[in-house]
Amino acid sequence: MQDLASVYSFVEERLGLDLKRADAAAELAGLGVDSLSLLELMFEIEEKFGVAIDQDTPPPKNVGELAATIERIAAAKP
Amino acid sequence: MTARRVAVTGLGVVSPVNPGDAAAGTFFDALLAGRSGLRLYAPPASPRPFAVPAGVCAGFDADAALGKPRAGTMDRYSQLGVTAGLAAWRDAGLAEARDAGRDDWGVAWGTSLGGALTFERGYRDTYVGGRDRLAPLTVVQAMTNACASHLALGFGLGGACSTYSVACSSAAIAIGEAMRRVRSGAAPVMLAGGSDAPLAFGVIRAWQALQVLAPGDEASAPQACRPFQSARAGLVLAEGAAALVLEDWERAERRGARIYAELAGFGESCDRSSLVRPDRDGQARALRAALADARLAPAGLDYVNAHATGTREGDAVEVAALAAVLGEHAPRVAVSSTKSAHGHPLGAAGALEAVATVLALHRAGIPPTLGDPAGLDPDCTGLGHVIGSARTGRPLRAALSNSFAFGGSNAVLAFRAAA
Repeated sequence: MQDLASVYSFVEERLGLDLKRADAAAELAGLGVDSLSLLELMFEIEEKFGVAIDQDTPPPKNVGELAATIERIAAAKP
Repeated sequence: MTARRVAVTGLGVVSPVNPGDAAAGTFFDALLAGRSGLRLYAPPASPRPFAVPAGVCAGFDADAALGKPRAGTMDRYSQLGVTAGLAAWRDAGLAEARDAGRDDWGVAWGTSLGGALTFERGYRDTYVGGRDRLAPLTVVQAMTNACASHLALGFGLGGACSTYSVACSSAAIAIGEAMRRVRSGAAPVMLAGGSDAPLAFGVIRAWQALQVLAPGDEASAPQACRPFQSARAGLVLAEGAAALVLEDWERAERRGARIYAELAGFGESCDRSSLVRPDRDGQARALRAALADARLAPAGLDYVNAHATGTREGDAVEVAALAAVLGEHAPRVAVSSTKSAHGHPLGAAGALEAVATVLALHRAGIPPTLGDPAGLDPDCTGLGHVIGSARTGRPLRAALSNSFAFGGSNAVLAFRAAA
């Protein structure tokens, strides 16, 4: 089990976004987070938190989906 | 049909002498003031204590310049290059938003090593760290054309997007090829320049093995690069980037753009004699070709920004080539090497020095070779050396910027004052 706050703050720091204030429906692409940035971010999360993100799960498209991904990672066993 | 004239309408530079901004004016002010950007540098992740004199863009903040997460998708050579490109674009007064009507606008970029830092990180992770998976962006960060593509993407430039990797002549050749595109009418506007970020432990070690790097400690590092001087002991590697907006002259005039200078000529040659030993006749061929292309005679030339890196053999050969081409005018033509201040950023050198040359014309000031005029090597005399302090207040008519690469590829750009 990861500390949810630390996963959130890592993602926010890497993307330069305040996810809690952003609209859940806001498209990540519109916030400057393209597919390349997401790919790199997911890799960095795996490295930093020692978790494996399911490669078959489609990448998050909006802020709400990204938040759900973060919560899944926080709940995962390292 | 008469060939179109090519105007320089925008400039941007990130260098060791102005790392906190990307303004060409700040870069040139530092050069005129004789400020050195060189210092002792210990590359991160060195396996043992290790430091060399280097030109480092220490205050450069890629996140602030480009924004997150965009900066994180780039190797440092692209971060530096895109920041310089953005500064040049703004300086030219062109709209940043991806605009309609840019289907034939293009990018010509020079880099010698591309994403060297990314490659090194990947090698370290896989060979030393034993990792099975590398960062997923390793390929697209490291590839040599990444910076050019980021620039084209950023401004919506739909024409040619080419990268030239010709060692130390990379950016000069990119700028020359961009000039040809504007001149022929193929592109009304080209963003041209170069970037390199070679300060990786393994890269520095490789250059050391060639025995061409200047030694130095904390105290002597700022003066480690001493072109044309008897005490010169080699080149100083650096990172940096510079960009120029090249534009069809009539188009630039129509939109009321500030024209810094005219890019009037480009000459190339190959030494055809050695991969590393410079050749006077090869360099002279490129110099003559640039003058002929610009329809310039030595009598009309006032300044040469030399390639001179501070190596024993290279500087003397360049002086001999200039003496051969300039003839009786050689003692009058001002010559300096700004590498003494910003170091040698390999594939980006031609771009930084093209900007220095353009601003020398635009501001009627010649940045000096840093050092002591009394220390001029007897093998390097016969030219109008500007050493120690800048020469200002005298209008210049035309100037050359020299780039001579390993591999024997020589490139010379010729600029004319805008008037």
